Amino acid sequence: MEQAIVVEALVKRYGSLAAVDGISFAVPSGTIFGLLGRNGAGKTTTLECCIGLGKPTAGSIRVLGLDPTRSAGLAALRPRIGVQLQATSLPEKANAGEVLELYAAYYGIAPRGAEMAERVGLDGKLDRQIAQMSGGEQQRLALALALQHDPDVLFLDEPSAGMDAFGRRIMWAEVERLREAGKTIVLTTHYIEEAERLCDRICVLQRGRIVADAPPADLVAQYGGDATVSIAADRFAPDTALQALGAWTQTEQCWKLATHGEPGLALAAIVTHANAIGAKVDSLDMHRPTLEDAFVALTGETLLESAQ
Amino acid sequence: MIALRMFLVQTKMNFVWYFQRDGELIFWTLAMPVFFLVLFSFAFSSGPNSGSSGFLVPGIIGAQVLSSGFWGVGVMLATFREKHLLRRVYLTPMPPWVFFASLVAYRMTLLAAQAVILIAVGGLVFHVHVIGRPWEILAVLLLGTATFVSLGTIVGALARTTESANNIASVLTVPLAFLSDAYIPIDRFPHAVSSALRLLPSTQFIDTFRDVSIYGAPLSHYGAWLGMLALWTIAGTVISARTFRWL
Repeated sequence: MEQAIVVEALVKRYGSLAAVDGISFAVPSGTIFGLLGRNGAGKTTTLECCIGLGKPTAGSIRVLGLDPTRSAGLAALRPRIGVQLQATSLPEKANAGEVLELYAAYYGIAPRGAEMAERVGLDGKLDRQIAQMSGGEQQRLALALALQHDPDVLFLDEPSAGMDAFGRRIMWAEVERLREAGKTIVLTTHYIEEAERLCDRICVLQRGRIVADAPPADLVAQYGGDATVSIAADRFAPDTALQALGAWTQTEQCWKLATHGEPGLALAAIVTHANAIGAKVDSLDMHRPTLEDAFVALTGETLLESAQ
Repeated sequence: MIALRMFLVQTKMNFVWYFQRDGELIFWTLAMPVFFLVLFSFAFSSGPNSGSSGFLVPGIIGAQVLSSGFWGVGVMLATFREKHLLRRVYLTPMPPWVFFASLVAYRMTLLAAQAVILIAVGGLVFHVHVIGRPWEILAVLLLGTATFVSLGTIVGALARTTESANNIASVLTVPLAFLSDAYIPIDRFPHAVSSALRLLPSTQFIDTFRDVSIYGAPLSHYGAWLGMLALWTIAGTVISARTFRWL
């Protein structure tokens, strides 16, 4: 598959601090690539280097075969990329329709204000001034500005930050629509569910370095650890068939099975066995490994927010 | 064609966003200069017909040109950078010259409006007669605007924050207005001082503008000063282009 973005040995230092410390990745055309990590992991710095907002200390970047760190490459790239920035603002007294009209002029296309407003859930709000829009509405307008000229590659920096559940649903639906349309998307996020739901591939960053780079399901399978089934029941003890499913541990009344296999099947077998021996079940619990488990295992950190 | 449309839409938005919807700015731009004219006319003279208003009308317009460059453009650019507006615009295919040309167009139109209002009030209230040729007056006004917008852009390029841009603009605009023949005649200073002050681009612009508009002097007499203003404009543009930071 053709690579839309290739980053090699990227380093970005601010003084003695290496915000990005030698990272390499490639994003195939038509896929969604997520940079996942805590604040300060280097996600935004990486993304900004890809769009010419930061000059790398070392390393090389190619976006659609062009070098965004050189002015000629950046000039050729600008019409073909769409960007939603985290640290951006629009003129307070502008209204949404005017901003879309101005950006249409920048890209030499016909304004698509009404259409874009509908796509990002701002229908009927084109005459609302920026200062009167909520943070989430401003974010959705920023998304519309990134999309209006139908770019090949999109860079979305924390696209759902500050959005409510409604805004997030709209943004997710829009990203999924863009995937259908064959666009390449790079997004940064610290929302586990957002990364898991949207990304074909997730690059986990920690202190400027890549700690893993794989499809979400692979990350979970590889680093998420075992699935567990716990049962608290009177007179319960696993028989040999159940012991073969994985490793059992017992704490007081509670037995816990850690298994590589499908926990649903193990759960069914455990319940059947409990009934057969007449054990009185107090509680049953099952946990599948999640991307969050994988993230914790990879980074030793937990401070990611949930998207709910 | 694409660049022309960009320029026109950007200029229109500059008006709507930064002028039409900003009541405070409308007041400062259109009412304050008239207030200055009235105040200074009575403060510096014995009556409406003493001739000081004829001095003040072009002087105040000239001072507005200075503040338009240093405050209007310099501080505005620093604010745009601080509020992260510039970095968003930097990501679009808009050529930088379109952005600056639209700022100049916006400022020139405001200044032309201010000039018309001041000349009208000066004529109606203080019997100031503008006898110069309109196109010559306009040409000097446009050249002066270009000069001080380009110098103001340097302020916007060098200032790290809105606050520092504000300070630089005050330090430049306020003394220059008093030392450049705008509000008070510099002939009142010792000859050596006034001669030195006539080397300032602000003095050369304001004196040329006054002589051409109020006294009807032919533009051709001011070739050397106009040339100097053109050189300042070129220097300001080159320095701005080399030092301006979008990020």
